[in-house]
Amino acid sequence: MKIDRRVVLNFEWVLPIFVLSICAIGLVNLYSAGHNLHNSIINPPYMKQIYWIMLGTGLMILAFSVDYHVFVRYGYLIYGFSILLLLAVFLYGHITNGSQRWLVVLGFSFQPSELVKLTMIIALTKFIDEHKAQDGYTLGSLLIPFCIVLIPSLLILKQPDLGTALFLMILFFSIVLFVGVRKQTLAVLAGTGIFLLPLLWIFMKDYQKERLLTFLNPELDPLGSGYHIIQSMIAVGSGGITGKGFLKGTQSQLKFLPEQQTDFVFSVFAEEWGFLGGMILIVLFIALILWGFRIGRRARDLPGLLIAYGASISIFWAMFINIGMVLGLLPVVGIPLPFLSYGGSSLVVLMISAGLMMNVSMRRFVLQS
Amino acid sequence: MSKNHSKLDKYAPSDFRTRFRIAGLVILAAFSILVFRLWQLQILSGSDLRQRSENNRIRVHEIKPLRGLIIDSFRNILVDNHPSFDISIIPEEARNIKAVTESLKRLYADKNLSFSGNVDALCVKKPFAAVKLENDVMWDKVAIVETNLADLPGIVVDVIPVRKYMKGPLTAHVLGYVGEISTPELLKKSYNGYRSDDIVGKSGVEQRFDQYLKGKSGGEQIEVNVTGRKLKILNRMEAVPGSNVVLTIDSELQEACWEAFDKKAGSIIVMNPNDGSLVAMMSKPSFNPNLFNRGISAGDWEDLFTNELSPLQNRAVQGQYPPGSTFKLIIAAAALEEGLIKPGTSFFCNGTFRLGNHTYRCWKKSGHGEIGLHQAIVQSCDVYFYNLGAQIGIETLAEYARNFGLGKKTEIELTGERGGLVPSGQWKLKRFNEPWQKGETISFSIGQGFILITPLQLIRAYCAIANGGTLYTPRIIQRIESPSGEVIKEFGPIVDGTLPVSEKNLTLLKEALWGVVNEPRGTGKALLREERDVCGKTGTAQVIGLPEEGAEEDEEKIPYKFRDHALFVCFAPKEEPEIAIGVIVEHGGHGGSAAGPIARKVLDRYFELKKKRNSGEDLIQAHKKETSQNPI
Repeated sequence: MKIDRRVVLNFEWVLPIFVLSICAIGLVNLYSAGHNLHNSIINPPYMKQIYWIMLGTGLMILAFSVDYHVFVRYGYLIYGFSILLLLAVFLYGHITNGSQRWLVVLGFSFQPSELVKLTMIIALTKFIDEHKAQDGYTLGSLLIPFCIVLIPSLLILKQPDLGTALFLMILFFSIVLFVGVRKQTLAVLAGTGIFLLPLLWIFMKDYQKERLLTFLNPELDPLGSGYHIIQSMIAVGSGGITGKGFLKGTQSQLKFLPEQQTDFVFSVFAEEWGFLGGMILIVLFIALILWGFRIGRRARDLPGLLIAYGASISIFWAMFINIGMVLGLLPVVGIPLPFLSYGGSSLVVLMISAGLMMNVSMRRFVLQS
Repeated sequence: MSKNHSKLDKYAPSDFRTRFRIAGLVILAAFSILVFRLWQLQILSGSDLRQRSENNRIRVHEIKPLRGLIIDSFRNILVDNHPSFDISIIPEEARNIKAVTESLKRLYADKNLSFSGNVDALCVKKPFAAVKLENDVMWDKVAIVETNLADLPGIVVDVIPVRKYMKGPLTAHVLGYVGEISTPELLKKSYNGYRSDDIVGKSGVEQRFDQYLKGKSGGEQIEVNVTGRKLKILNRMEAVPGSNVVLTIDSELQEACWEAFDKKAGSIIVMNPNDGSLVAMMSKPSFNPNLFNRGISAGDWEDLFTNELSPLQNRAVQGQYPPGSTFKLIIAAAALEEGLIKPGTSFFCNGTFRLGNHTYRCWKKSGHGEIGLHQAIVQSCDVYFYNLGAQIGIETLAEYARNFGLGKKTEIELTGERGGLVPSGQWKLKRFNEPWQKGETISFSIGQGFILITPLQLIRAYCAIANGGTLYTPRIIQRIESPSGEVIKEFGPIVDGTLPVSEKNLTLLKEALWGVVNEPRGTGKALLREERDVCGKTGTAQVIGLPEEGAEEDEEKIPYKFRDHALFVCFAPKEEPEIAIGVIVEHGGHGGSAAGPIARKVLDRYFELKKKRNSGEDLIQAHKKETSQNPI
């Protein structure tokens, strides 16, 4: 493949710096979160995370090296592949904590639902690029893109992973609303949404309902299902302004926190680094997202714009939902905190997304070949 | 790629500027929500939540102190502490309570033991708090659990020190029993500083000396992890064990009293007349104080509560009886002191005494004939004392009775003591709104009618006669010692008063008491020993009025609750008395025949023990001498 000189001249430096600094913070935090959790010195989570970051960086380079239009051209194919992986989860999936989310390939466990978050954006990009609507989309024209999100959502809901399924929906609406829909369509969508909400309740598993109820009032069951969210809020609050210090968070070191290396990793961070540390991390995230918007705004064409916007808004929602949950603002759903939660699938997919954003940024002056 | 891409239509990136701006604003709004929440949690309620995180990891665990021991005067331990084992389960660690208890049951079954708890009734409130499965289990079960802990997740064995009353019912009334503090007790001022799960004395010495016996709780600050597992001890303050209480009681003699008393209900008190200290105190029927240790079962409580003989009552200080003939000594003292009679003054007894149109009978129908004071006491002639009573009058008699310590609490250091009753004209007017009748003085002068005494008051009065006139406050505590044996508080004799009787007259009375036991016509011959050194007095207290002429004389045929109480008081040796014994047999019939033999057995045992102990001391002395001579 031939690399244009201007691509090199316009190399995107800022985004990877943001990404890698957040990853570095994540590593330090993961070291603390797992400090007293595991006895084995070989391959503790933070070490594994380093390997994942290295792998992610490699894939990130790959993602900005190949012109993003190639990805868009094969968008449906890539999407189809990720759907196949989701189906494979049902056949060969690994069950942990009562849900089937993992696929084990060559000794690595992988979560296809994380990958779908990205492939769905690419598939939607391809569709929107090919089916432009002058006055916004009508309900009928949204049928196919809706199917694009509905298929993986249902598959993921079946695992069951309500959080990720809802996440895909939120992502879909964020993109569609951004691109523009007709006013009547918007009204119909809002109406059906309100109508479907009670139906969702019926399909929820007992533990999901319980989570939702205790979210509304965690003190209702402080030692039962409200326990996690109370412990998380105690951890965050006890950090105060400057925090308890590295490795000194009692809530995390004494294992009062649930899932402290994955979904609740932010409470470990906020406990040890306090309000100041939390602010720095959130500001970094916002900076990354707004920088992603900037790339989108300056993109050469619509696919580039949509990829940059989609990737940024995906990071935004994940961050907002995860931190909101840790702070007791949102119910407990299994959405990992981007770049900080332990887990290869999420990290690698996020790095690839970042690579694609760099791709868009670097090719903003290159004419289509 | 796209056919339209070169044509700048509505979908050109430049048209998205406003939308990006809106999206950016949405993101900044979300950002401010997060920051606001973070500020709220970390800065606004930061210190509060920090406190909660501290509480989360630091548990304060109370260390219960060992309760002080209760020791008798020969340093035998009467109450000790022994460990009691409870088996509990921590639901969070067990995960499946049913499965864990099932495997516990299987382990028990292998050793032919059965599970005593009720799993279905378990009330799980907090997953991390232990729930009791079995109370007070035996060693074999503890051994099974301890050796199989790995297969029994969540099962823990708690060790709790509990009281062990070595003599069981023998000393139950003196020592009392313990139990968890009750809500009304907690509200009382005297229980200031007690906590809701404290074990406190509920009666007897346990209650009265609780502040010395209870000790001080220690505490342990431990750091725990989420499962409540102890990680490290941050701070530890040892519990301070309670002080030991040394009694004046001789438990061997106490045992003798228990064995000697072969009747249904009553009491025995053995007192040292020289300082008012109690050597033995027994009340029957009794109860097993060990039943109360871990909270008495409803069935046992029902049994104790519905028993019409009230086993929980300490009859020695709570029982109130008419003193009967034992009261005659006080009448005699009053008559002598008031100058009404001289030692030689005699009355004629024909078996009856008339006052107005009412006839009062002597116990001896045929009468005692011409009789003097000495013989009147020895033979317990009722008519003689009717004459004295009628002449002295109730007010003077009542004053003498009060000066002998009757009609008021002796202030012994035991709970629930009652005061008895010495009636007077004023009292009767107040109580019944009726003036005192002369005939009531007649009954009063032989210890019948309204008068009520407790066994303790009676023995104390006789001790005062024995020791030459000093009325002591009865004592049961010798001293309080720290666990290492240092004396914290010493309790000496307390003089409560002096009998208003001259030495000469006291000697006269004492001679008469000697006669009761040792003279041919005495009523207390049961106590006649070879040494002829015992003084005593019998008493038969009527529960109902003397039967009319020709009424049923055969005691066995009278219903139990209408039979007379039998009393006997004695002291020995006559010169320099060292022991006094008071026996009351409820509904036992005649004092001389029912209570006398019991007192005799106790007295014999007392001298036997004394001899044994003296020779024992001799042996020790001899042994010491021997070893010092032969240092090898």
